[in-house]
Amino acid sequence: MTAEKDDLAARLVDLLAQCALGNQRAFADLYGLTSAKLFGVALRILRRQDWAEEVVQECFVSIWSHAGDYAVQKSAPLTWMTSIVRNRCLDWLRRPQQEATGDEYDIAVEAWQDEAPGPLERLAASSEAAALARCLQQLEGKQRQSIMLAFFHGLSHSEVAGHMKQPLGTVKTWVRRGLERLKTCLGAPA
Amino acid sequence: MASYKNPELREKLAAEYVIGTLRGRARARFEALQRYDPALRRTVAEWEARLTPLSAAAGEIAPPPRLWQAVARRIAGSRRGASAGGGLAFWRGLAVASTAFVLILATFIGVAPRPEPPMAMVAVMNDERGQPALVVSWPPMKAMREPYVRVKVVQEHPVMAPGTTWEMWMLPGGKEAPVSLGLITTDADQSMRLRPALASRMEGAWGLAMSVEPKGGSPTGAPTGPVIFKGQCVKL
Repeated sequence: MTAEKDDLAARLVDLLAQCALGNQRAFADLYGLTSAKLFGVALRILRRQDWAEEVVQECFVSIWSHAGDYAVQKSAPLTWMTSIVRNRCLDWLRRPQQEATGDEYDIAVEAWQDEAPGPLERLAASSEAAALARCLQQLEGKQRQSIMLAFFHGLSHSEVAGHMKQPLGTVKTWVRRGLERLKTCLGAPA
Repeated sequence: MASYKNPELREKLAAEYVIGTLRGRARARFEALQRYDPALRRTVAEWEARLTPLSAAAGEIAPPPRLWQAVARRIAGSRRGASAGGGLAFWRGLAVASTAFVLILATFIGVAPRPEPPMAMVAVMNDERGQPALVVSWPPMKAMREPYVRVKVVQEHPVMAPGTTWEMWMLPGGKEAPVSLGLITTDADQSMRLRPALASRMEGAWGLAMSVEPKGGSPTGAPTGPVIFKGQCVKL
């Protein structure tokens, strides 16, 4: 599994370098290897197909034109690309007219509280995220849920609070403590 | 501003930025800060490395074929020459739009009365949004015993982050690597002494760039940090 993942990372680094040189074939390969992952990320956050298409289109154009900057970023290629997509999605949600209404949330909120829900299982199965999944499971349910609602679905503090029917301050504390614990847990050897 | 130096706060803001709960103006401000503060960028990158694997839980969803068609159309329209190799990909994208501004400004500098020799070349260095940040100009180098370039701040910009310096680079153009001109100070108007060996090369300068470097300047002789300002040189 790990070797497979390293292979992908090495391949993506190579393709990004080719893109920086203007190689459009390499860019097509890069798109083929990453578009489904990135589209999945965008769709979770934006929850609308048309928005996700628009944002991901912008992101790939941006990845193409900034491929030359990748070397100086010193992060894993998929992390770099995913961060571009996440940031662009969050910018999109910032536009005032784009605020989604409460009933559009098609989120399996309860799932994040359980120990063996679908997405968390999927996370544990992917080798790069196994440590993260293990650490997430060590969090209190409320901490895990609020972090996932924020990170995974792009909800703001107040949206998370509304969703969980909890005071804003309480939610902020859950998120902050949860992140601190995650950091400590991930820093410790497995 | 001083509070942004508090390590705990920096850590907290970086985490909130990555998880996405830092919103609105606070988010924009934090993004701007990162551009000038490599240590802060590293803290953010660490949080990205920690949390981004969570995205794998989203599962893969293939986008419709029209998405690739739209992307491919836009890529095909963009022209990018073969790169000069190395880190030069970096320097591409100098704002062409700024040329008009350069010319207007050059005229102004040309007629302004001053006790020094007339300037031979000028470069307006723009920030990432294409806003002019610095104007750099220099007289004909042959006439000078102690060659220098004059650096004037035209727009207030963020201060140097602790432990960093800003290094100016001359871009000879073509495939040649950037050449360090030296470190600038925080003065709004300063003269930067050049090594005499550099003087003869300034006439052929194609562009200038400013990078953020560790204290004392780039340890490698090439830019290592983010480029915050750049601009093309114009002969007067």
